[in-house]
Amino acid sequence: MTARVPNEPVAPGRTAAVDVAWAGAAVQRGGRRVVDGVDLSVSGGSWVSLLGPNGAGKTTLVRTLAGSGLDAGSVSIGGRSLGDLSARERARLIAVVPQHPVIPPGIAVFDYVLLGRAPHQGLRFAASEEDRRRTHAVAQRLDLDELSTRTLESLSGGERQRVVLARALAQDTPVLVLDEPTTFLDVGHQLAVLELIAELRAERSLTVITTMHDLSVAGQFADTVAVMSAGRLIAHGRPAQVLTPELIETCWGVAATTTVDGHGGVTVAVQRRREVPLWPGRARVTEPPESSTPTTLEPTR
Amino acid sequence: MLRARKLVPVIVAIAMLGAACGDDAPETTPQTTSSATVPSEVPSTEPTQTTETVETADVPQRIVSLSPSATEMLFAIGAGDQVLAVDAFSYFPPEAPVTELSGFQPNVEAIVGYDPDLVVLSDDIDDVVSGLQAAGITTMLMNAPVDIPGTYAQIEQLGEATGHTAEATDLVEQMQTTIDRLIASIPERETPLTYYHELDDQLYSVTSKTFIGEIYALAGLTNVADAADPDGAAGGYPQLSAEYLVDADPDLIFLADTVCCAQSAASLAARPGFDQLSAVKAGNVIELDDDIASRWGPRIVDFLETVVAATNAASAADTGTS
Amino acid sequence: MGAVAVDEQGLRVALPRGTRLETGWLVGGIAAALGAVVLGLWLGPVSIPPGRVMLELLDRLPVIDIDSGLSVSDRAIVWDLRAPRVVLGLLVGGLLAGSGAAYQGVFRNPLADPYLLGIAAGAGLGATLAIVSGVGDGIGVVDPVPLAAFVGALVAVAAAGMLGTRRGRSGTASTLILAGVAVASFLTAVQTYVQQRHAESLRQVYSWLLGRLSTSGWGEVGLLAPYAVACVVVLTLSVGALDVLAVGDDEAASLGMRPRRVRLVVLGAASLGAAAAVAVSGLIGFVGLIVPHVVRRLTGVSHRQVIPLSFLFGGAFLVLTDIAARTVQAPAELPIGVITAFIGAPFFLLILRRGSEA
Repeated sequence: MTARVPNEPVAPGRTAAVDVAWAGAAVQRGGRRVVDGVDLSVSGGSWVSLLGPNGAGKTTLVRTLAGSGLDAGSVSIGGRSLGDLSARERARLIAVVPQHPVIPPGIAVFDYVLLGRAPHQGLRFAASEEDRRRTHAVAQRLDLDELSTRTLESLSGGERQRVVLARALAQDTPVLVLDEPTTFLDVGHQLAVLELIAELRAERSLTVITTMHDLSVAGQFADTVAVMSAGRLIAHGRPAQVLTPELIETCWGVAATTTVDGHGGVTVAVQRRREVPLWPGRARVTEPPESSTPTTLEPTR
Repeated sequence: MLRARKLVPVIVAIAMLGAACGDDAPETTPQTTSSATVPSEVPSTEPTQTTETVETADVPQRIVSLSPSATEMLFAIGAGDQVLAVDAFSYFPPEAPVTELSGFQPNVEAIVGYDPDLVVLSDDIDDVVSGLQAAGITTMLMNAPVDIPGTYAQIEQLGEATGHTAEATDLVEQMQTTIDRLIASIPERETPLTYYHELDDQLYSVTSKTFIGEIYALAGLTNVADAADPDGAAGGYPQLSAEYLVDADPDLIFLADTVCCAQSAASLAARPGFDQLSAVKAGNVIELDDDIASRWGPRIVDFLETVVAATNAASAADTGTS
Repeated sequence: MGAVAVDEQGLRVALPRGTRLETGWLVGGIAAALGAVVLGLWLGPVSIPPGRVMLELLDRLPVIDIDSGLSVSDRAIVWDLRAPRVVLGLLVGGLLAGSGAAYQGVFRNPLADPYLLGIAAGAGLGATLAIVSGVGDGIGVVDPVPLAAFVGALVAVAAAGMLGTRRGRSGTASTLILAGVAVASFLTAVQTYVQQRHAESLRQVYSWLLGRLSTSGWGEVGLLAPYAVACVVVLTLSVGALDVLAVGDDEAASLGMRPRRVRLVVLGAASLGAAAAVAVSGLIGFVGLIVPHVVRRLTGVSHRQVIPLSFLFGGAFLVLTDIAARTVQAPAELPIGVITAFIGAPFFLLILRRGSEA
């Protein structure tokens, strides 16, 4: 709470760590409290993953950082209430990587990343050299150099995710919010993106707040995990303390086994709940038929 | 429009249903005279279907006119007493029984509501003619005449249809005499005077191929708009370029947009570049009544008189100065 | 321009520029506009030697006094008829295309044009009411029709804006479009009703709706100029905001923008310009829809290029089509809206095809 608000970055690309805290935060949607009295503080420079079943209110909670209003309570950043900040000031403190970013048709990668400089620009007709330098540095850091003139539509999912991340980093904010950053990526790209975020956090002292579905991923990358259910925060702490089979059973209604590794990271394996019977006379195939070879299938003629 | 068109068959069906149910209708209604249409192109010398069967006793007494020109003709031949209702634009002569009926969007039901025995129209819009015929009403379709003989023919047709043959003949003779006298009053010129006839302030005009152009030709005037529609592709109603008009510099300018578009000699002179026009400088801008210059009835004589007077005045001033 | 950055190997590399208004395109746009103006002054149904036209224009400059050798009526043609018409074409075409580009940007919809929120319908109703009521008949000096059209257009946009945006979370671009469509339909219905009730003015109403530059003088240029300046300045300053708005309201907000306010300012300026253009020229279609698309095809999607170049190429396009309008069937005029579609549609299809092949 004592961290100063970094209107000016400490050094290019590196910012002072900033705390984020919700106090009694509540959001109503259609008469329902989708976020219901959440108290959560995230200390500067740490990584917290918000977990919870669909509809628990995770995305709504992080959206309160991007200007979506609260119906009750407050959210503060670096000790200042978010409600007191202008949209521009807020965008200099918090960068958001949305789950489904809108990809403007025809836009080039460099121009898209440059949009991240918007909160630092005035009514300027062309981007300043400073803005271009920062943008270029971020693009280099995320290995987007080669792509800078390509359009976003022509990129693969993994590349596009890096570009959207680059735009958020170009904002030069101390807080980075990622809403389901790994949803559409294969396992390899999921890990690559999360490892990149981990590196960037270390380089820039970022406070990272992500929503997640994959408990194992959250359990391994986040410093702390916060579990929400029906709009309420039901647990917050180190992954090894929070992600227990009991909590997973209560919250998601599934049986799971958890393994804690030497660094305090948690992996979660979920078991199928019950066998669904097939139609009468048909049992589940447990062994391959003797006639078939398990190697390769002949192409049909 | 579309809706009205779709409704016509329904209305007709209902009307026919009503007729069929009326078993006890008096047998005096002669079926032979109804449902005849007089095409306007038929020259006056040829007797038409309608007039042949009309006898003095059967002269229509409940006429509805949806054509302002026809209304003027009917009153000029003394058939005004037989006219029951006229459309909203038939405001000449003043005693014409103006109603809300429209010749542009004719409503068969509204017309039938007057129980007419003759309906005169200038255009068959939305199949109104067949709708009226289905309702057993005699119609005369008289398209706008294309020349002065056409006007004479329509006057005589209306005379025969309404039992005023003699008056119609007299009117035509009287018009011819006046026109001849007016033409005779025009002095000979080596180079004819030029004119521009304005339909609206967007410089829409007429060529000599139109009815109105023909009247100006009678007065010996040359039309500057002819070059703008040489092949008649614009139907004789081209829109002129302002700079062409300034360059052509007509001797006479006739404004037929004093009512529609509130134009006047003063407003014409105030238009950009128009203060240079000879007609403006010489005061040869004639403000016409929009209606006189667009209704091809008995008042074409009045219109010609205005044109000839202006021409003679301009001609006299021209020879006086040169 | 010559900014450099250092890459990972410590080598100096050129810093990427990002999309900006390319000098080449800017020069091209200005050249197109100027070329169109010069052609517009030279060509017309009355042939006047180009050299003398230029001398005549020089003569009009302060201090300079040259005898162009033109007759009085030719001088009137050049200065009172052609010159204002060409300038008006430049302004109207530029405003329609520029505000069309702004509308497309704000709504992130390629089918948007300046008439989307009811400007055409509102102006049409305003003009029709002024024509049929004969307001100002005989006043002579102030023509009430453009004034009524201007007011009608602004009332329509304001109505659509108020109905389509509510305080709270529902003020999205699509509700605004729907409100605009509803307002436009309603006003068109009223306009048609009024027009049918006054069949005697039908011709004048139609003539107004068709659009024209044909009878314009310096008066119209004077009416339009202040709104043109306001529109051009505001839209040119909004290019960066429009680029940010391309990522949608939520993300634009997270980038420090207030999307609803940007939309209000940009739509306000674009509507003001388009309404003023429509007020003096009637409903000239196609320019506001097609020119921004062509510019985008040629230069890319950034509003830093699309907005200023739409102004320039839109103006040039309308001046050129107006030359066709008054020369193709000289000395008769063709309705300019017919020509914008007749020339514009095939040209646009060509650009589309070339774009999809590339």
